[in-house]
Amino acid sequence: MPRPGLLAIVVPCLVLLVGCATHITRLEPVRAAFHRGDLDEAERLIATDLEKHPGDADVLTLDRALVALADGRPLAAEDLLKEVRDRFDHLEQESPAEDAWSMLSDDQQRSYAGEDHEKVLLRAMLAITNLSSDGGDAEAFSYQAAEKQAEIVAAATAEDGTNPKASYRQIALAPYLRGVLREETHRDYDDAARHFATVVNWQPEFAAGQADVVRATGGVHSPHGHGVVHVFALVGHGPCKVVVEEIPSSAALLVADQILSATLTQSLPPTVAPIKVPRVVAAPGLVSAVAVGRTSAGGGVAWQGRTTTITDISRMAVEQEAAVHDRTVARAVARRALKKGTVFGVKEGLGVERFGPAALAFDLAGVAWEAAENADTRCWGLLPDSIQVVRMELPAGQHTLALQAVDRQGMSVGRAVPRSVTVADGRNTYVVIQAPDAGIIGEVLSSSP
Amino acid sequence: MLRRTFLFSAGLPVAVSLAGCRGQRQFARIVNPGDKALMGSHQAGAETFGPLVDEAVAKLLARNAEAPVQQVSYDDAGEPLPCPPKRICFVGVENKSAEDIGDFKDELYQVIDTRLLQTPIFQPLNRRVVDAGLLETRLRPDQLCIPEHMRQFATHLEREGEPIDYLLYATLTSGTTRENRDYERSYRLTMELIDVRTGNYDKQSADLVKGYHHSRLSRWRATNPLSR
Repeated sequence: MPRPGLLAIVVPCLVLLVGCATHITRLEPVRAAFHRGDLDEAERLIATDLEKHPGDADVLTLDRALVALADGRPLAAEDLLKEVRDRFDHLEQESPAEDAWSMLSDDQQRSYAGEDHEKVLLRAMLAITNLSSDGGDAEAFSYQAAEKQAEIVAAATAEDGTNPKASYRQIALAPYLRGVLREETHRDYDDAARHFATVVNWQPEFAAGQADVVRATGGVHSPHGHGVVHVFALVGHGPCKVVVEEIPSSAALLVADQILSATLTQSLPPTVAPIKVPRVVAAPGLVSAVAVGRTSAGGGVAWQGRTTTITDISRMAVEQEAAVHDRTVARAVARRALKKGTVFGVKEGLGVERFGPAALAFDLAGVAWEAAENADTRCWGLLPDSIQVVRMELPAGQHTLALQAVDRQGMSVGRAVPRSVTVADGRNTYVVIQAPDAGIIGEVLSSSP
Repeated sequence: MLRRTFLFSAGLPVAVSLAGCRGQRQFARIVNPGDKALMGSHQAGAETFGPLVDEAVAKLLARNAEAPVQQVSYDDAGEPLPCPPKRICFVGVENKSAEDIGDFKDELYQVIDTRLLQTPIFQPLNRRVVDAGLLETRLRPDQLCIPEHMRQFATHLEREGEPIDYLLYATLTSGTTRENRDYERSYRLTMELIDVRTGNYDKQSADLVKGYHHSRLSRWRATNPLSR
């Protein structure tokens, strides 16, 4: 007859064994719908997920914002992004209770405060979203993006002066936006030059960066009677987190608990379930750039340029995750050690006989408890692979742009999309498009100068 | 006994941790004049720019405060008339310091512009007029010092019904002196007034030196007279 106390411990542990699908598994259909341009389906799936998994509300709201942006609702997108920005800021604070609880279960139990690149991109995306509507707050958002970036790196400085985040690839979009906005004042060219120089430093592959520096240093925004069109394209599939098994750490832990079991007064639950941690993977997708041209009165298109990468999100996310991966693994190993220690302590406390059935039951419960862990794969799932931009100086007046997504071989992907824009003398006009996989999806947004 | 000790030592940290939770939402306060203000730990902030602007503008005003004109006439007692205000075009604040001054740039412009507007010595042009002039002429602020461009810009403004006597530039510069992990940075705000008719210029500046220290001990050593 098992003791009630024993059951009280073993049963909850077995209940934990009933694992759940991770966030990324649930997000797959949403990503698929969005990437093929089915915005209604993506919106519906996100709404369903939000009802079922309120713990994922913040990342799902971020995804919803990008769906709203593609759907031609920049104001709604901005509201959603601002909501998550404020919430992430709040969640950045440490919560010892939550940390302790996550050590007894897994990292999915912690509130998600966003990955570092997500926190910065959130603000950069706010700036782009704002530019596609009235643009009144775009400078403030781009400033916030740059500030957040600096804050994240500064906060990671250890007592000994080392900083694992010092090697982070920075998001060049933030200084680029500031440079673009300062240049449009026709007054703060010194600021613009400084920001464009930062862009060249952070994203040397950005081909137009050097021309921007030269223009801001000695030239002018645009010639008389001309304005500038900036086309921002959110291109390709963004990175996502997958669950990986840390086999070397798991094997080492198994050997360690074998050794300890042989020497201690009680056995430890063996490390049967491998340690699972999230790993950021890139899956760029088919589209690699967007060609931009002007449609003539006769209907022909004069292609004028292609967007180039100002921020390589996938690469940045992978590198940032790699910089802190050891800490993630160390945390998972510490969790295992705590769980084993707890089982050991309870067995000791209850005076369980070492080779008796109760000890076996406890070990099984311990194994189940460990197996119930899963990696935290929450992430901003609908981010693009890269944010790209092309700058064009056009005569003031009305123009019809032709926008065509192209793959790595330069072949067209999907159909060319026309968009009418107004160019004002000496002013910027902003166009925002999303081209994940099926060419350009949703509505092409354009600001009024 | 050993078991109890083990359980206590294992359980206590967990129990203590469970007691802690995430703090409240962010708080804010109004900083009234005279209240203790924050000190920028890594770069200049209001504590630096405020005194610089105060001093530079005060010097500029003092330098240009001319004696009133003594009117000589047969029918009045020669009451002095105030000098007409100088019409100036405050082109902008140039940041040539080692720091990105972020949102302070527009703030500095507005503070200086407001101070100048409040005096009878200067009559600054509205910033929107200045911006529109730069846009229309496609001249960069740094190009306005070239006589030809200066004339072109002044003529344009005059055509728009906004004649000017002077161009005004504010320039922020810095110089850094390092000693191991500590450094001192001297900030200088220079106000440069250029006569658009003659090209003659006058400048006034204010300086402030700020020390940045990597630890409290280092700051104490720098400020304690005994350690010097």
